[in-house]
Amino acid sequence: MDADVPIGARPSPDPEDAPAEATVLRMLLGAQLRRLREAAGISAEKAGYEIRASRSKISRMETGRVGFKTRDIEDLLTLYGATGGQQRSEVLALARQSSAPDWWAKYGDILPAWFETYIGLESAAVTIRSFEVQFVPGLFQTEDYARAVTQLGHHSASADEIDRRVALRIKRQDLLTRPGPPRFWAVMDEAVLRRPYGGATVMRTQLRRLAEAAELPHVTLQVVPFARGGHAGASGAFSILRFQERDLPDVVYLEQLTSALYLDQRPDVEHYLEVVDQLSGEALTPDDTTAFIEQVARET
Amino acid sequence: MTSDEPAAPGDGTAGKAKPPPFDTRVANQARIYDYLLGGKDNYAADREAVDAVLKIAPEMGFTARANRAFLGRAVRYLAAEAGIRQFLDIGTGIPTAGNTHHVAQAIAPESRIVYVDYDPIVLAHARALLNSHDAGATEYIDADLRDTDTIISRASELLDFTKPVAVTMLFILHAIPDSDNPHAIVATVLDALPPGSYLALSHLGSDIFDQEAQQGFQNIVSRMSQQQYTGRSREQLARFFEGMELVEPGLVRIEEWRPDPGSDDTYQSTAWGAVGRKS
Repeated sequence: MDADVPIGARPSPDPEDAPAEATVLRMLLGAQLRRLREAAGISAEKAGYEIRASRSKISRMETGRVGFKTRDIEDLLTLYGATGGQQRSEVLALARQSSAPDWWAKYGDILPAWFETYIGLESAAVTIRSFEVQFVPGLFQTEDYARAVTQLGHHSASADEIDRRVALRIKRQDLLTRPGPPRFWAVMDEAVLRRPYGGATVMRTQLRRLAEAAELPHVTLQVVPFARGGHAGASGAFSILRFQERDLPDVVYLEQLTSALYLDQRPDVEHYLEVVDQLSGEALTPDDTTAFIEQVARET
Repeated sequence: MTSDEPAAPGDGTAGKAKPPPFDTRVANQARIYDYLLGGKDNYAADREAVDAVLKIAPEMGFTARANRAFLGRAVRYLAAEAGIRQFLDIGTGIPTAGNTHHVAQAIAPESRIVYVDYDPIVLAHARALLNSHDAGATEYIDADLRDTDTIISRASELLDFTKPVAVTMLFILHAIPDSDNPHAIVATVLDALPPGSYLALSHLGSDIFDQEAQQGFQNIVSRMSQQQYTGRSREQLARFFEGMELVEPGLVRIEEWRPDPGSDDTYQSTAWGAVGRKS
C-alpha cells in the first residue's frame, strides 16, 4: 500500500534536467534504486559518497530528474547488496533503455526540452486524461487544423519550420494506432468545437475527425456544453498522465507559452484529479457527446 | 446492527435518494475500495480512512481482494456453467481489472451488461472505461439501489426480461441500513426477473468480523465516509435468497466459494457470499 509515495521532488522544471527522452523509465529506475537503498538501510549521503556525489544528486536520481551513468548505477547496486541475479540485470536493462534515443530526437531543432518530456510521458502512459478549453486535443487534430494553430503560434516561422512542426504533431498521433495504445479520456469545453481554426471548412472536417475518434474503443470524449453554465475547469487546460506501475505517481502537465509545468506531488495532482473527475461528471456522456459534435459539425 | 443515521426512508420515497455529492474531503466507498485494490483513483481522505481501518482490521485488504476474486468466479460460473448472457451489476464501483463484462464477455462475447451506480463520478469512470466487446453491449444506469422503479424500468429497456438475468450486488447491501428495508429491495428486483435468473451477493458478515474491530470499523465509516455500514449475519443474509436455490457450496466466506486451485488461504475474509437461482 505504498502507491501514494511521491516520486517527484519538485513541481517546477529543474534547470539540470537532462533531455527527457525516456522520462518514465528514469522515474521507474529511480524508484527502484530508492527502494533498494532503503531496504539496505543506507542513507542518501552514504550512497552519494560512494559515487562521489552529493545527497541531493542521489535524490535527483531517485526522482528521475537526471540522467544516469551506468558506472554509477553499478556501484550503487553493489553498495545496496544487489551484486548479481535478476534484480541487478533488470535495473541495468532499464538504465540502458532510459538512455536510448527516441523517434522524436530528429525533431530536436523545433522541439524544446520541456515538450520532449511530455512526448516521453505521453508514450509511456496507460491513461491520459485531459481538459481542453480552446484547442482540439493534439492527438486528434487534422493536418489542416494543426497547421492553422501552428501558424498562429509561430508568426515568424518559415514555411519549412511550420511544415516540420505540423509533421511532428501528426507523427505523435501514431500513439493512437500503435498496439496497446494508451486510453485517452478528454473533457472539452464547447468552445473547442465552436472556434473555427482554419475556417469553417477546415473546422467541419476537424469535427468529423473528432466524432470518428470518439468511436475508437480506447478513446472517450466528453463535452461540457455552454448550456450547462459554469464548470469546474477554472484552471484552464491540463493533462493528467497515469502509468501502469503502482510506484509511479500521476503527472499533471500544464503548458505555458515558453515552458511547461510537470506536477507529480500527490496534493498537487489530486487537485487536478478532482477537477477532471468533477468535469467528467458534469459533461455530456460519451454517447451524447458524439451526437453533440455531429450537431455542431452540421452548424459549422 | 442498525445504523442510527438512516440515509433515506424505507417507505417507497427512497427512490428520490440523492446521489452523494462529489466531495474529496470525505471518504467514499467506491474510492476506498479502489485504494484497497491498488488503484489510483482515490484521494487523501479515502486513504486516511483505509489506513485507520487497516490498523484495527488488517484483513480488510485481503477481504477487498477476495471480493474482487469472488466477482470473477461468480460471473464466470454464471456465464460458463449457468449459460447467463445478461447481467445487471448494481454497485459497479470504480473500474479496475476484471470487471463483470470482461469476465462474462471472455466466455460469451455477446453478453450484455448493465452497470448501475448512484455516484455520478463513479458512473463517469464506468462509461469511459467499461467498453463492451463488439458482439455484446454495456449500458449504464444512474440510480440508487433503493430506487428499484428506475432500475427495473431502465434495465428492462436494455435487457430482455423474458430471458434469465444475473443480478450482482457485491459489497453494496452493507451500505443499506435496515430502515431502508434491503430485503424488500432485493425481492423487488428479483420479482421483475423470470425464473432461471440468478442473484450473486457478497456482504461483510457481522458474525465473522471480530466484534471490537467491527465496532471500530463502524465508527471510522460513520465518522469519515459518505456511506453507512450495517453488518449482517449469515442468517440475515440467507433471507436475501428466500425462495431461491443456492448454488453449491451455498452461503460461505467469499474466498471459499468455488475457490480456484492454489488460491491463497493465508488469511480469512470477513465477508459472506453466495449465488442463488430463482426457480
